[in-house]
Amino acid sequence: MDSGKVKIIKKTAAGFVVFLLIPLTVALGVWLFKDRKYNIISAIVAFLSCVPFFIRFEKGVNGARELVVIAVMTAFSIVGRLVFAPLPGFKPVTAFTVISGVALGPEAGFLVGSLSAVVSDFFFGQGPWTPFQMFSWGILGFIAGVLLFRAKKKNLLLICLLGAAGGAAFSLMMDVWTTLSLDGGFLWQRYVANVISGLPFMGIYAASNVIFLLVLTKPFLSKLERIKTKFDIFK
Amino acid sequence: MRYFDRLHPAAALVYFLFMILTAMLSLNPAVIVLCYLSGVIFCGILTGFKNLFKSLLYSIPLTALIALTNPIFSHRGETVLFFLNDNPVTKEAILYGVFTALMLMSVFYWCRNYSTVMTTDKFIYLFGRAIPKLSLVLSLILAFIPKLKRKYKEIDAAQKALGVYAAKSYVDKIRSKMRVLSILLTDSLENAVETADSMRARGYGLKHRTSFALYRFEISDGIFLAVTAVLGIGCIACIAAGGANFNFYPALSRLNLSAVSCALYACLALLGFMSLFVEVKENILWRLLKSKI
Amino acid sequence: MALIEVKNLSFTYNGAQTAALKDINLSVESGDFVLLFGESGCGKTTLLRLLKKQLRPAGKQDGEALYRFKNIADLDDRTAAAEIGYVMQNPDNQTVTDKVWHELAFGLESLGEKNEVIRRKVAEICGFFGIGDWFHRRTFELSGGQKQLLALASVMVMDPSVLILDEPTAQLDPIAASEFFASLKKINDELGVTIIIAEHRLEEVFPLADKAVLMDKGKIFMCDAPRNVGKKLSNSELSHKMSLGLPAAVRLFYALGKTGDCPLTVKEGKKFISENYNGDIARIDPPEQYLGERRAAMEVSGGYFRYERELPDVLRGLDLTVYENELLCILGANGAGKTTLLAVLSGVKRLYKGKLRIWGKKLKEYGGNSLYRGNIACLPQNPQNLFVKNTVESDLYEITKIAGYGREEGKKAVEEICAKFGILHLLKSHPYDLSGGEQQKAALAKVLLIKPAILLLDEPTKGLDACSKRGLADILKKLKDEGKTIVIVTHDVEFAAEYADRCAMFFDGQIVSVDGRINFFASNSYYTTAAARMTRPLYENAVTVELAEKLCRMNGEKRHG
Repeated sequence: MDSGKVKIIKKTAAGFVVFLLIPLTVALGVWLFKDRKYNIISAIVAFLSCVPFFIRFEKGVNGARELVVIAVMTAFSIVGRLVFAPLPGFKPVTAFTVISGVALGPEAGFLVGSLSAVVSDFFFGQGPWTPFQMFSWGILGFIAGVLLFRAKKKNLLLICLLGAAGGAAFSLMMDVWTTLSLDGGFLWQRYVANVISGLPFMGIYAASNVIFLLVLTKPFLSKLERIKTKFDIFK
Repeated sequence: MRYFDRLHPAAALVYFLFMILTAMLSLNPAVIVLCYLSGVIFCGILTGFKNLFKSLLYSIPLTALIALTNPIFSHRGETVLFFLNDNPVTKEAILYGVFTALMLMSVFYWCRNYSTVMTTDKFIYLFGRAIPKLSLVLSLILAFIPKLKRKYKEIDAAQKALGVYAAKSYVDKIRSKMRVLSILLTDSLENAVETADSMRARGYGLKHRTSFALYRFEISDGIFLAVTAVLGIGCIACIAAGGANFNFYPALSRLNLSAVSCALYACLALLGFMSLFVEVKENILWRLLKSKI
Repeated sequence: MALIEVKNLSFTYNGAQTAALKDINLSVESGDFVLLFGESGCGKTTLLRLLKKQLRPAGKQDGEALYRFKNIADLDDRTAAAEIGYVMQNPDNQTVTDKVWHELAFGLESLGEKNEVIRRKVAEICGFFGIGDWFHRRTFELSGGQKQLLALASVMVMDPSVLILDEPTAQLDPIAASEFFASLKKINDELGVTIIIAEHRLEEVFPLADKAVLMDKGKIFMCDAPRNVGKKLSNSELSHKMSLGLPAAVRLFYALGKTGDCPLTVKEGKKFISENYNGDIARIDPPEQYLGERRAAMEVSGGYFRYERELPDVLRGLDLTVYENELLCILGANGAGKTTLLAVLSGVKRLYKGKLRIWGKKLKEYGGNSLYRGNIACLPQNPQNLFVKNTVESDLYEITKIAGYGREEGKKAVEEICAKFGILHLLKSHPYDLSGGEQQKAALAKVLLIKPAILLLDEPTKGLDACSKRGLADILKKLKDEGKTIVIVTHDVEFAAEYADRCAMFFDGQIVSVDGRINFFASNSYYTTAAARMTRPLYENAVTVELAEKLCRMNGEKRHG
């Protein structure tokens, strides 16, 4: 099989997941659970949304060095989370995911983000929320990569903005999950109440992300750049 | 040795997925209670009853909070108990809150049981076939984490002895942690090249890589899986036949005690308490064996 | 038939001006045990890596390296991965997965072996190395020596015909290193696997080798059977600084000006002395430095320490006095808590019971960071833990700022200290691009910029070759002349016997014995130097080769026949 054909198959497989399986899940969920169980449907949808990225990674060609660097960045973000655990609200995972995306590209950004979620839930408990976290962090790393990986000059303001927005979006997403779990459906009042009760936390979270990124972006990017040239990876 | 420790991961996964999904999906009070009880007791067996009581203590106020806040957002239901700020508080809403809370708790406990049984080894094994590369990355990550943790402590001690941190203020704490993390990143990235070399030296990147696993599917695993499947299909059939129907709004319906419903409850109880049964049986067998020695 | 044949091999790294290897010729027969030794940076690693296809560095190569008459660069990937095994220096970095069983299976997975095959081979290898009871453990829980043995086993499981090892014991303590060498001997003797090993630690591996290859500046300086290499090395014409690293028996033999077959092991050395030398003068009493009453730099009395409430004590009633301007070596087995002891002495960890006084003052009286301003500095086991910046230069400037130098003053201090250590040419380099010895010098420079009166060093000789050790000793001597107090925690018995003023034995959370270096090692029976073991019971106090040589000469040779 020539590489062109392989590419087409890969794309079709990914497209199949996105364009067929997801709506199918929603439809099946609505039919089966009579429109009541959004939490489970949404968890499945979140998981399915990660699948194309994973397929792409599985089928792609990655050397040992790229795998190791992705693994180091993921382990690093989890250790960072453990180190900062005594300080409430300071969770560097979002910041490290953004930095990984910017330095290593969208695909690696997605992997670092989503794998951080899976592995940190090994420590903090897995559950239906895991796919949500996987997707939220993954897509954040992906967006960071899309916006800034190829940029000649990495705009620190934009990176910080991403971190803040990412932190806020992550909290908002998780609130959606909580709301869906509590009511089976989506109640606006409940959602707003959840968001408001979580506001101080969200504020600290977003602010801490900005602090992390302000302080760490420059040194971390230069370290990763050095590794990229030294190992000749993530071109 | 617990039974679930040597149960084949695939059988365990099917069992847990079914229990977690059932716990999440049903609004039938009997189903919720069954899932909750079996989940909680199994958790006690897996993690020790001391730990269980600790976690139950935490869960009580949380349950109460959900039960009490639900009427604030939901004003549906016929039986108005009283008015709060001109909004009706109904019996149905309160009960709905209570059972939602129980449902969430049972999901929590089943997830916790899942996490206890499905160690990283089993997780990687299950997904190793479908996503070999990712599962290898997972294994790498799990090997890196303790290394990085130890390294962090070493670097922290070295930097402290340099007298780099001036005071013990909050800001200083954050700054010192960031400094150590920064050193840690350089260190782990630079040393990672050797890890990659070690992988390549042992042939990583050759075509047709296999993944080795310790687990073997034995007859007892097959029996466990078959029983799970039969009972599970029974449950699903009963649910499809309307055995789980129950409404909180507008008025509480009566608990369904038809033949189909009773079959559902029976199947679910068997399934939920099967885990307890096998663990207890394992325990008794072991004691008998010991007394014979 | 030569299994590996290197012909006129030269190699230059991309971007480098000088060649890393020049005109190397080497032929290795099947079943040979070949030892490569030489100063760090002499090209050992480059040569070894050129023999492993997957690890070949990028650069320009002339000449050829053949495996079974085939160019190694053109070997089929599968053959190159399976038949040529490669073990690296750092046990931590070369462990890939989180579980022992997975680590063992990793190579076979790459080769695409079936589950049943892997199961059988892994079982076999566990039996061979006796590591079956680790099988389900996490790799992280293993000690350094165990990890290195695991690395060896997980290469051997692929059934290679050549095993290449690049300083495999550099990071291990002496006991673990002996065990590792014993496994290598077993592999070589019982399986006939060809072994090519680069090592600094020659005492044990030298007698094992069929062929010893001394490399210098990218060339092969000498290649012969170990007994002959010893002979040629001590020949004054070819005198070479690497002879410092040879086993004690060899050094003694040639120091005494003997010719012929030289002894290699302690056992042979002992026989050699008793057969050839008289024993009338039984002891030597070299003038020891005056160790009488002096000011105490550090004093611990009744010190207790543990990491957590539930954990056992690491220090248990520790009593220790460090005198001003002495070099004290604290020796002890691995995992005894030596590093913890150092952390307590440096004030990073606090005793929960007992007293620690530094210059007679309690630790509490050193407010803020005054303890680390001119009083104490600590060089960690891994010098990399100190580097923050991207160049050595900026790293050193950073510490001058922290230590409160002025701008000009700081610049001058950095230049001065770098000139002293001979690392001026490295200022613009990234700290991680330096060799182990250079990293240590840079780290030591950084620590000394704080101008400490007391210097604490954790395993400073780990991974250093004999020359670098001598270099380190020279630096320490200079520092002592400047009036500094030095405490070293180490398991390098030979280094302590050579350069310490006093030695202390740390065991079970306490200091069990303290004495001047000669007395200390002369009264130890097991935990002592090769020279002492070799000369006992004939002579007393001959703890270094130098002293042993003196005693032999004083006694004179036996007359035969």
